[in-house]
Amino acid sequence: MQPTEQAASVRDADGHRPPPWRDVRVIRVALQVGFVAAALGTIWWLYSNLANNLARLGIRRDFAFLDQSAGFTIFGSDFSATSSIRVALWVGLQNTLRVALLGIALALLIGIVVGVLRLSSNWLVKRTASIYVEVLRNVPPLVLIIFFYLAVLQTLPGISDAATPGDVMVVSNRGVWLPWVELGTGTGAFAATAAVAVLAAMLVAAWRRRVHDATGRPHHRVLWGGGTALVLLGLGYLTLSPPISMSIPLLEGRSVTGGALLFPEYAALLVSLVLYTSAFIAEIVRGSIQAVPKGQVEAAQALGLSSWDRLRRVVLPQALRIAAPATGNEFLNLSKNVSLGVVIAYPELLRVGRQAIGNGQPAPQILLIVLAAYLGVSLVLSLGVNIANRRLQLVEH
Amino acid sequence: MVSWRRSYIMVAAALTLGLAACTSEGDAPEDPADVVDDDGDSAASADSGEGVLDQVRDRGTVVCGVNDAVPGFGVTTADGDFEGFDVDFCRAIAAAALGDAEAVDYVPLTAEARFTALQSGEIDVLVRNTTWTATRDGGEGASFAMTTFYDGQGVMVRSDAGFGSVDEMGDTVICVLSGTTTELNLESQFSARGLAYEALTFEDNDTLREAFLSDRCDGWTSDKSQLAAVRSAWPEDEGGPAALTILDDTLSKEPLGPAVRDGDTAWFDVVNWAVIATIQAEEFGVTSSNVESLAGSTDPETEPELARFLGIGGFDAGLGLDPEFAVDVVSQVGNYGEIFDRNIGPDTGLGLERGENALWTDGGQLYPPPYR
Repeated sequence: MQPTEQAASVRDADGHRPPPWRDVRVIRVALQVGFVAAALGTIWWLYSNLANNLARLGIRRDFAFLDQSAGFTIFGSDFSATSSIRVALWVGLQNTLRVALLGIALALLIGIVVGVLRLSSNWLVKRTASIYVEVLRNVPPLVLIIFFYLAVLQTLPGISDAATPGDVMVVSNRGVWLPWVELGTGTGAFAATAAVAVLAAMLVAAWRRRVHDATGRPHHRVLWGGGTALVLLGLGYLTLSPPISMSIPLLEGRSVTGGALLFPEYAALLVSLVLYTSAFIAEIVRGSIQAVPKGQVEAAQALGLSSWDRLRRVVLPQALRIAAPATGNEFLNLSKNVSLGVVIAYPELLRVGRQAIGNGQPAPQILLIVLAAYLGVSLVLSLGVNIANRRLQLVEH
Repeated sequence: MVSWRRSYIMVAAALTLGLAACTSEGDAPEDPADVVDDDGDSAASADSGEGVLDQVRDRGTVVCGVNDAVPGFGVTTADGDFEGFDVDFCRAIAAAALGDAEAVDYVPLTAEARFTALQSGEIDVLVRNTTWTATRDGGEGASFAMTTFYDGQGVMVRSDAGFGSVDEMGDTVICVLSGTTTELNLESQFSARGLAYEALTFEDNDTLREAFLSDRCDGWTSDKSQLAAVRSAWPEDEGGPAALTILDDTLSKEPLGPAVRDGDTAWFDVVNWAVIATIQAEEFGVTSSNVESLAGSTDPETEPELARFLGIGGFDAGLGLDPEFAVDVVSQVGNYGEIFDRNIGPDTGLGLERGENALWTDGGQLYPPPYR
């Protein structure tokens, strides 16, 4: 109906059209088309400018360099100097994701806890959480990263006199070696046991659910199911040959064998980004909890729910709905801030890209790839956040 | 109705695209015009019939592209003067060409800008820690004169770590500064020796320094002259310079020398022989303190080579220079050894030994062509 109304609106009483330059429809269309064309034209002009200048300087514009062997190594990876630039950038992206994904999980966890604690009725807990938030969110993340790297982790003992607390780990400024599990001989049999245990747990959980539905007694299905699985797994572990063995790091002179190594560069970047982002998430969580209508809490109190059940079953589910979009932004921030690792030699994507540029690879193409990769990561993350958000929203009938 | 609207869209699109195309076509010819302008400028200064030497003499100064931030090689002093090893060679060139070592206009240049400045004729000669390489000789259109400093990529370690040479550095962590080809040299040298290592690549020198200070890495690799500068400034509470050792191994060749534009051999000769004169003077034992008396007392009969070098007896090699140019260079700037000792030698902050930069008679690389 709208088009005809619009069409009618531009005719005068006698049904005559105004001339095109005063026709509001024509003006609207022309403006939009003009804007799009101007935007495209600007992009095209910028590109041709770049292309002209690169050609004038004799700098290549193709992407054939991606298949050349890199000639450099990447810290903390098996990447060999004979592998291609393409692989180098891929290793860099993996290192970026390694910080981003674990960082997001940890920041969310800490953020929720601190956010809830900020609303605690205990004065000490509340103040401590406030100080945590106010200190961390008011410091630039780059300062945090450099602080953790140089002022915290680099002051650990050197490798020759590294600390070995309990003889199960090695702590030095070259990294912390932790005891780690290694797959043993009985892995296959144990995997089968694990599958049986999971199946049994699901069956038990379903049975408890039915009991609950039939009798109204609390189902405790997590407790029952988990217990079943644990018992079965324990039996399997004791009877079958051990599926895993512990690898304990051993310090010999200046080198360490065994264990799993946590690089100081990785640790400093992860810890600072998690702390920084969790402060923002905590604020979002606090705000969202306070945004849950007071009547909801009062109703829960009236029902006699415990404070834990009030939080878990009434407040948090509703607060989560409010917090989701803003928290998603913090995830994006964290994943982009991983590029700050460039200053402490963490081999994330930008660092590897710059390494390649420093060793004679073309800068425009590599930076374009880095740009596209970060854009891709952010888009995938925001897609995930949007899907989660849509599922969380109240469905209005 | 729809076709009516579409026609407007098409008209508008055509108009706007046409406009966009016009503006960018209008801009496009400007770029080549700029290029022509640049070329015109450089052509005017470089190829206008008279060579750089004539221009320098007309102008009365040598325009010398230098570094202003590398201690020992080229730095700006508190009162705005320039000093350093490279700067002294600018002065030697001015002394040879004009007879006055102070007739130099210094142009501090960044690493990226240096060859553009040389190509465009903004400077007459580039003396700025510049490594003589094939692509610079070819693609950048530069001609390199006699090498003034044989540098090389080295590895610095903590003295107490017990590394005597690079061969002992298997399973180590090496700190590198990003943005140079240092990593490529490191990789090729270590893999050639079959040594496992991990390179920790830093973005800036300060973080790298802190990491090395706290023993994050076993070695720090860079040009030896740069490592020496770091070592000389090592904090006393960390043991001072003695706490660090620069290994003798050299991972790459970095011959540093003055560069001029391709195509002016007369000027190239001047620059080349100004450098050679300082080395030759050291070989002859001619210093800034004895050059005047030697010039007055040397007998062409008994010491013909020295006499030719000092321009006694009217010997002119045909370099387009004053026959006594070597006297001007040595008396005003000094011989190679004096320049070295004054700026980067053992008694300076950098504390570099002569090493490769000793005279050939002392087992070094400095081998001046005979002056005859």
